[in-house]
Amino acid sequence: MKSHEQRDLFPGALEMMILRTLRQQPLHGYALAQHIKRNSNDLLQIEEGSLYPALQRLLKEELVKAEWGISSTNRRVRIYKVTAAGAKHLEREVSRFERMLEGINRVLARGEL
Amino acid sequence: MNWLKQLLSRRRMYGDLTEEIRGHLEEKTEELVSGGMPRREAEAAARREFGNVSLTREDSREVWRWTQVENFLLDVRYGLRTLIANPGFSLVAMLTLALGIGANTAIFSVVYAALIRPLPYAQPAQLLTLGEVRLQEAPTSPSDTRNWNASYPDFLDWQRQSKSFQALAGFSGDGFTLRGAGEPELVVGAQATVNFFSTLGVKPFIGRDFVTGEDIAKGPKVAILTYNSWVSRFGSDPHILGRTIQLDDNSVSIIGVLPREFEFAPRGNAELWVPLHIEKGLVSRRSLRWMPVIGRLAPSVTAQQARAELGSINAGLAAAYPKENGAIQVMIFPLRDRIVGQVQPLLLILFGAVGFVLLIACANVTNLFLVRTAGRRREFSIRMALGAGRGRLIAQLLVESMMLAIAGGAVGLLLAEWGTSLLISAIPQALLDFTPFLRDAHANLAVLSFLGAAVILTGIGFGLAPALQVSKGREGEALKEEGRVSGSGMRTRLRGILVVAEIAFSLVLLIGSTLMVRSLTALLNHDPGFDTQNLLVFGVNLPSTAYPKDPDAIRFDREFSERLRNLPGIAGVTSNSVVPLQGSGNTIRFLIEGQPEETGQENECNIRDISNNYFSVMKIPLHAGRLFDDAADTEKAPPHVIVNDAWVKQYSPGTNPLGRRVKFTYSPTQPYREIVGIVGNTAEAGLDAADEPSLFLPFAQDANSFIPYIVRTSSNPANMVNTVRQVLRGQDPQLVMIQPITMDQIIAQSPSVFLRRYPSYLIGSFAALALILAMVGLYGLISYTVTQRTRELGIRMALGAQQYDVMRLVLGEGARLTLTGVVLGLAAALAFTQLMRSLLFGVRAIDPATFVLVALLLAFVAIVSCYLPARRAMRTDPATALRYE
Repeated sequence: MKSHEQRDLFPGALEMMILRTLRQQPLHGYALAQHIKRNSNDLLQIEEGSLYPALQRLLKEELVKAEWGISSTNRRVRIYKVTAAGAKHLEREVSRFERMLEGINRVLARGEL
Repeated sequence: MNWLKQLLSRRRMYGDLTEEIRGHLEEKTEELVSGGMPRREAEAAARREFGNVSLTREDSREVWRWTQVENFLLDVRYGLRTLIANPGFSLVAMLTLALGIGANTAIFSVVYAALIRPLPYAQPAQLLTLGEVRLQEAPTSPSDTRNWNASYPDFLDWQRQSKSFQALAGFSGDGFTLRGAGEPELVVGAQATVNFFSTLGVKPFIGRDFVTGEDIAKGPKVAILTYNSWVSRFGSDPHILGRTIQLDDNSVSIIGVLPREFEFAPRGNAELWVPLHIEKGLVSRRSLRWMPVIGRLAPSVTAQQARAELGSINAGLAAAYPKENGAIQVMIFPLRDRIVGQVQPLLLILFGAVGFVLLIACANVTNLFLVRTAGRRREFSIRMALGAGRGRLIAQLLVESMMLAIAGGAVGLLLAEWGTSLLISAIPQALLDFTPFLRDAHANLAVLSFLGAAVILTGIGFGLAPALQVSKGREGEALKEEGRVSGSGMRTRLRGILVVAEIAFSLVLLIGSTLMVRSLTALLNHDPGFDTQNLLVFGVNLPSTAYPKDPDAIRFDREFSERLRNLPGIAGVTSNSVVPLQGSGNTIRFLIEGQPEETGQENECNIRDISNNYFSVMKIPLHAGRLFDDAADTEKAPPHVIVNDAWVKQYSPGTNPLGRRVKFTYSPTQPYREIVGIVGNTAEAGLDAADEPSLFLPFAQDANSFIPYIVRTSSNPANMVNTVRQVLRGQDPQLVMIQPITMDQIIAQSPSVFLRRYPSYLIGSFAALALILAMVGLYGLISYTVTQRTRELGIRMALGAQQYDVMRLVLGEGARLTLTGVVLGLAAALAFTQLMRSLLFGVRAIDPATFVLVALLLAFVAIVSCYLPARRAMRTDPATALRYE
């Protein structure tokens, strides 16, 4: 139960990163995990497993869809794709996140004076 | 429908997930292996990077679940298993709750039918009842409304002058010999002003209502049947309209049938309704107040405004007719008061009493639950150690208690249905006629809502305490072997409090029921002033066609009495215009010769027309002067009266009234009548009624066409009914023996006795139930602590404590709880018995003897129920006790 609280940086951040990554290209779970790690320059230490509950939440809300297919390494994998609703959701979340970040930055900047 | 699709595809989804995670781990491992890592190490690294696989799977699945609902279903399934695994506990708890909930629901359905349900008329909130009350007889309780009447001229003036009422209507009782539907028979009817039904908002279900001009005839010409009489007496005849029946001497045509659900409690036993038909005297006499009046408020007028308006109309009437209306006050109350006034306090007391039973039942089940929860502490600790949150444990216990409560409620509903019909069948028919709303008491929406609320509250009530205690426990602590801690603090204290509460509540109930029983005994032993043994009472109505004048009635009476008196088994025959204990009423205004006369302030007392042998047949003592006799008090003899002790006490205190003369004021031609005797008081309205001043006149000097006879028999009077009926038919075949009843039946059915007997039995059984529950609770608690303290007791005995000391220790604890409960219960009883004051008779609400005796009895029973576990404790073998565990 307690793992929930440490799952994300903040609620929704993981989902946001998944959607962002998947919008560039549909990926299966493992590739998705590698992508996020690589792109964050390993700054974010994410347990790979924690992707899956997040993916299930996105699936349930129909922000992504999944289909079984064959990966480049010739494995049978489930490939996730962003839906139209997912893309819209991502835009909204990103702009909200940016506004929040801007706000935090301003407060922090003022604090330095 | 999305959720449905998801629900159905869930199994596949879980399969996909498992496969996907496995794929993930494999891919990672492959990658690490191809990077040069040994396979075994690579597998471990892949798992490490991935995190807790099964938790991930759980968390991912949980996304798809309705966690709460599914947890709940899980709890239900688990709870069901637990309850079934403990059938003894479950059964006892469920039955206790079923009794508590069932009894409450039964009483509530009666309370609802009588006090809460809207009266079955259109916009019942607008309906009021009005009456004229003499200033010196200001009402003391709502039940007094039942005796309020108005005079017909005043009623007409109200109708003419008042603007606050849409309609004012009057009604009264009636009775007829009915011919034209089988054997001639006496039927009880009612008469009403023509607007009576429209005022209530009731329409006949076939036929029409009365119309203007149909009332104030010499006799009724039209009649409206009640649904029941249409069905039972006229076989639901579809062509009933226009059919002619014979009521007394009048041909009456039936114009309508009232709807099946129509009820009007004040005339509940009426089979048919006829328009108001009264003799001239009543139409014009303003001082004769005999007609109950109902009114429907005009829209947006309040009862307060109506009261004010009627007040000023009344002031105008008092100015115009000072002699008749000078000392009159108009009372206005909700119609409901007139209808349920008498049973209201009774029902509220029963409701309170049965509420206590539910509280005790809850306390007991809470106790059972606490004990069982204590036994399950390890189970809960293990679940907590395995990661169950406190919320889940509380939810689990609440689900279990709720399931018990629901099961209890279901059985309770059956008990309630059965109990309600039992409650109602215990009401004598004569009283039920005047409380027709009680027939409506059964499980309806309101009752079911009450039941639901009771179930939820009790479920939470007894589930919460154990649930909170479990959640308080620390995870590790309870995993350790239990039982080392002696008397484990909190829990035992809570159980102690519950037992104290049970003892207190049951003491309140015991005291309440003892007071009721003592009232009943006092009432039944109350001397009504005459010998009630072997008396048969019935009425004879002489139709005016065959018996037009007073001498005809007097002749009939003399012959009929003579024939009866000569029969074997009959010790005496007499008559009185109002039979004692059958209700009061029939009063007369009078002046005493030589006393100052005040306008409108004449004296008023009961008037009774009696046969000359009345006092000797009834065995009423003569205290001074003489009785009437056939030689001195004939039709033409100088008018004489006899008075009773209450009359002397009120109107002639300290002086000898014999020889003084009184005059009735209703007519200027009334002669002065000399007081020739003083007799003992008799109970008039009921056994519990105060003595009423009465004047007695010889029947020969004030004959009536309706004669209530009282026959004293030498054996069971019920066996004489047929003989008497034959004598009556033999004398005049058209005469009917009206409502034969024995005096014992009159007493048993009288409201005064019923209103005590009924709650005596009910509160008595509630109290017995409460006592048993409380004693079981006390016994359980003491046994439990004895078991808990086995080791401690063993040590004490090993250190030299004697058996007697151990006994004293255990009994001391029981005594402490009992004493606390008794003290609290006595305090509560002081407050609660005040509420039942109106039902008590011959005993005070705070009766020291009752309080002390019942408290002692309860304490004794309590100590006995502690004695058994104490004896077990006393026999504790120190060696065994120390090896215990």
